[in-house]
Amino acid sequence: MIAFAYDPSTNPLNNNEWSFPLLECIHILGFTLSIGTIAILDLRMLGLAFVRHPSRELAKSLAPWTLVGLVVMLISGPLIFSSDPNMYLRNISFRLKMYALLAAILYNYTLHRWAALREPAPAVGKFVAVVSLALWVSVVAGGLFIAFF
Amino acid sequence: MSLLAFAQWVQTTGWATALRGSWYVYPIILSLHLTGIAVFGAMILTVNLRLLGVVMPKRRVADVVDQLRTPKRVGFVIVATCGILMASSKAEEYYYNIFFWTKMSLLALVAVHALVFHGSVYSKAAEMDRTSRIPGRAKLAAALSLLLWISIACAGRGIGYIEPPLDKLHAQLLPIHTHEGR
Repeated sequence: MIAFAYDPSTNPLNNNEWSFPLLECIHILGFTLSIGTIAILDLRMLGLAFVRHPSRELAKSLAPWTLVGLVVMLISGPLIFSSDPNMYLRNISFRLKMYALLAAILYNYTLHRWAALREPAPAVGKFVAVVSLALWVSVVAGGLFIAFF
Repeated sequence: MSLLAFAQWVQTTGWATALRGSWYVYPIILSLHLTGIAVFGAMILTVNLRLLGVVMPKRRVADVVDQLRTPKRVGFVIVATCGILMASSKAEEYYYNIFFWTKMSLLALVAVHALVFHGSVYSKAAEMDRTSRIPGRAKLAAALSLLLWISIACAGRGIGYIEPPLDKLHAQLLPIHTHEGR
């Protein structure tokens, strides 16, 4: 398995009380923005929110916010990871989270984007939305379970 | 009954005890709580950023506010239910948790915010669309709401950082899994 020859105690993140929790807050706000805007689109495709807006238009309005959220998440995440890389690499929940995250991001910019912009038959849209929600819920759950393994 | 006695009673109820005793139920509820926050939080962001003219500026305010009202309420109920479940399982511990009380006070401020601004801003979206400019009162409401909810998320994260005061807690009520957070 990959391991870093690196002493986490030299990381500034581990040498004060506030920077780790602050990063976590930023991480939470980042995924609220990214996962939340993706979920709004999913709920639209499921017919549960924004029903008077075509999902195509909603997708275009929300895309920049999803991207901003993803960038915030993908900057704060690796910084959190840097606080103790070898612990995270050994953690099964972290590894599953990374696979789920990769799948979720790829899915979001391929099938999910296609379904939102092309507006296929409602049943197809609903299926795409449910898969999207399931992927992102597993990303969040994977992150959370890191602390419990 | 004092608040402390109430907290002790709540966490001795069957479901609170069961929740505390299982290693996976708590993190599952916490995951739902967080995913709910993502969905519910993004709706709050969307509504308030629309009022500030940042998101979907070409769409009518009423379109955004009205269409998100119901999902926002459903989201809040999910997040709050998970929160209440988790809080009850560790009620006595949270009685001594400063971040828990900070979060509860901020939630009380959300209620005040709703009392002050619901009638005059959020339910008047259609009126705003008749004029070209969004009134200052609406922008103030949006900014305050964003500030409140961001603080609530941060205070919530803070809860996991307070060590339980082991000397004050009832030994038999101690949570089995206390390594939440770091």
